[in-house]
Amino acid sequence: MPVTLLDRLPMPNLRMYSSGSVVALSACVYYATQVIKDPNWSAAADSADIVGLHKEVVDLNKSNASMPDGRSMGQYVSDVFSVMIREPVCVWTMINMAFCWLILVGTAVQKLVFGELRVSEQQHLKDKFWNFVFYKFIFVFGIINVQYIDEVLLWCSWFSLLGFLHLLSQLSKDRFEYLSFSPTTPLWSHVKLLALLGAIFALSGFMLLVSVFVGFFGGFNTFAFMSAEVVLLSIRTLHVIIRYALHLYDMRQEGSSSVSTNEENRVWEKRGPIAYYTELGFELTALIIDFVHHLHMLVWSNIFLSMASLVICMQLRYLFHEIQRRYKKHRNYLWVRNHLEQNYPMASSEELVENSDNCAICWEKMESARKLPCTHLFHNTCLLSWLEQDTSCPTCRLALNIQNPSTSRIDPPDLQVDVPQPQRRQLNHFFHFDGSRYVSWLPSFSVEVSHNQLMRPEAAPASNSQLDAMARQVQQLFPHIPITTIINDLRVTRSVEITIENVLDGRLVAPAMYREPDVVPSANRPMSVLQTNCDTNLQQERNWDELSTDPVET
Amino acid sequence: MAGSALRRLMAEYKQLTLNPPEGIIAGPINEENFFEWEALITGPEGTCFEGGVFPAKLIFPADYPLSPPKMQFTCEMFHPNIYADGRVCISILHAPGDDPMGYESSAERWSPVQSVEKILLSVVSMLAEPNDESGANVDAAKMWRENREEFNKIAERIVRRTLGIPT
Repeated sequence: MPVTLLDRLPMPNLRMYSSGSVVALSACVYYATQVIKDPNWSAAADSADIVGLHKEVVDLNKSNASMPDGRSMGQYVSDVFSVMIREPVCVWTMINMAFCWLILVGTAVQKLVFGELRVSEQQHLKDKFWNFVFYKFIFVFGIINVQYIDEVLLWCSWFSLLGFLHLLSQLSKDRFEYLSFSPTTPLWSHVKLLALLGAIFALSGFMLLVSVFVGFFGGFNTFAFMSAEVVLLSIRTLHVIIRYALHLYDMRQEGSSSVSTNEENRVWEKRGPIAYYTELGFELTALIIDFVHHLHMLVWSNIFLSMASLVICMQLRYLFHEIQRRYKKHRNYLWVRNHLEQNYPMASSEELVENSDNCAICWEKMESARKLPCTHLFHNTCLLSWLEQDTSCPTCRLALNIQNPSTSRIDPPDLQVDVPQPQRRQLNHFFHFDGSRYVSWLPSFSVEVSHNQLMRPEAAPASNSQLDAMARQVQQLFPHIPITTIINDLRVTRSVEITIENVLDGRLVAPAMYREPDVVPSANRPMSVLQTNCDTNLQQERNWDELSTDPVET
Repeated sequence: MAGSALRRLMAEYKQLTLNPPEGIIAGPINEENFFEWEALITGPEGTCFEGGVFPAKLIFPADYPLSPPKMQFTCEMFHPNIYADGRVCISILHAPGDDPMGYESSAERWSPVQSVEKILLSVVSMLAEPNDESGANVDAAKMWRENREEFNKIAERIVRRTLGIPT
């Protein structure tokens, strides 16, 4: 794996790297100051080709050239800068310095807010980092297909800033989840984490503005590419912030639960659906934006058979499945909620008094509760979240008749309606080749392979509409035989002809449940068909021979 | 929501410390993370595990009590229903949906009315009466069935080891 390989590379530590970068930068600055000491430097630069923005600076320099030492400080700095920007080595040093700054800022934030990272956080961070680098590499070189180095640099710097914020937001999410495992987190760490999340959110807003600004010049596609990522970032961050706020509210509620009034309890009851719907909204929005973003990339790149589009397609597939999964889960939630509201009444206050226990799911006091048919009481939200995944009473395991037709959830066996199906059913493969349909002299034959095996109950029966049609055909010939008998026989034979023959031979009167050998390539019934068919065809063939030989003789 | 899971775990911890069941001690490893517990189980009297003190780790999911926790012994164990790595295989630790062995009825499986106390009590009874039909450790199940003396010897060695007595 490339990641482990990179781990083994001797990476310089941060102190070495940043001091090296500073030294390199100061060397460049020194070089630039040396260059502008020469009064004719701008003239020399003029002969070299200069790109737009810097021309103005140079022009300004020309006008000031008459007073060599009268240059103001700002002028001096801009001179140095213009020299540096023209020298490739200096440009790279500055870029390196920018990255160094980013890393330093990241380390500072980590020290300030997170302290020591936990192992799982580090692992997450590393995964996310390489994932991001991989996808952005594909984006820049596979999708946008940039040609010029300055474009690459612009995209790179944009994505490094974005990736930096993404990683920070991921880290905050992990840390929030960890902090929510503990009841004794000091307030200070909550404040620090929330401040960081707020800062990330504000920065993502700023970046959105930048992308709008760039979009004005770069066109709609560039805007869409840039903003999609930023919007994703801000949605994720906002999601964490809101979850955090809900969690803190929860904990505060816990503290004051001893003096809970009726008013507070009503809010408490409502909190479940609110939390659920915010969760759903955020997750779905993020997924859909990501999906559209990838779809946009695929359509825009216009290269349908490249490695990049393959990767994008994989990602699209994953996102699609995620959306589908989320949607199904939501359907299930709605179904269970409706079922709950319609079938199980709220417990009356007498029942609540009588049953002084706490809710068995969350172990908290019940001010209001739903009653199951087995008279067990639970909080509405607790019961709902349990029934989403199982369909029995948590206390006594009474099977509740909740069956959602839209989901393929596995229900416990005692809930399943017993479909009367024969335990041993013959699974036949019936190959029938009717050659006479194409050319009259071609023989028609049929081969039947029948297995006897224990059927699993979920094995799908042969399509019923087809069977019905076939059965009706047979019944037209033999109206005295009940259609169910015909269908049963057709299930076995899967052929109208054989069933007719069975009826004619008197086999259909008694249900055919005798065992047959596993493979019957030329057993009685199929063979007879083969023979009869062949006989008729041979006759036809003979006729055809006579016809064909006639002209030869004449 | 992690909030309700946390409150439930705190309530369970409180109950376990206020009136602890015999032979069982359990609680969070540290107060910063209520979702990882450590438990000490003493071997039930009159069985081959008598006298041993077996440490185990319990990891709770964020949606506890809707999903069951995972339990793993952190000492060496030799038992038909304990995997070689210490994971415990009992039906109440299995979520209602999944059925790895294919024969448990849903009535025996996890439900939110179960608790840490009930899990640990069933582990104690599992230590006393192994179920050799669901073999998490096939060697142990076989030995339990066919060569009980050898099994008892190994169990005794493990008990001594958990107490720090040289074997």
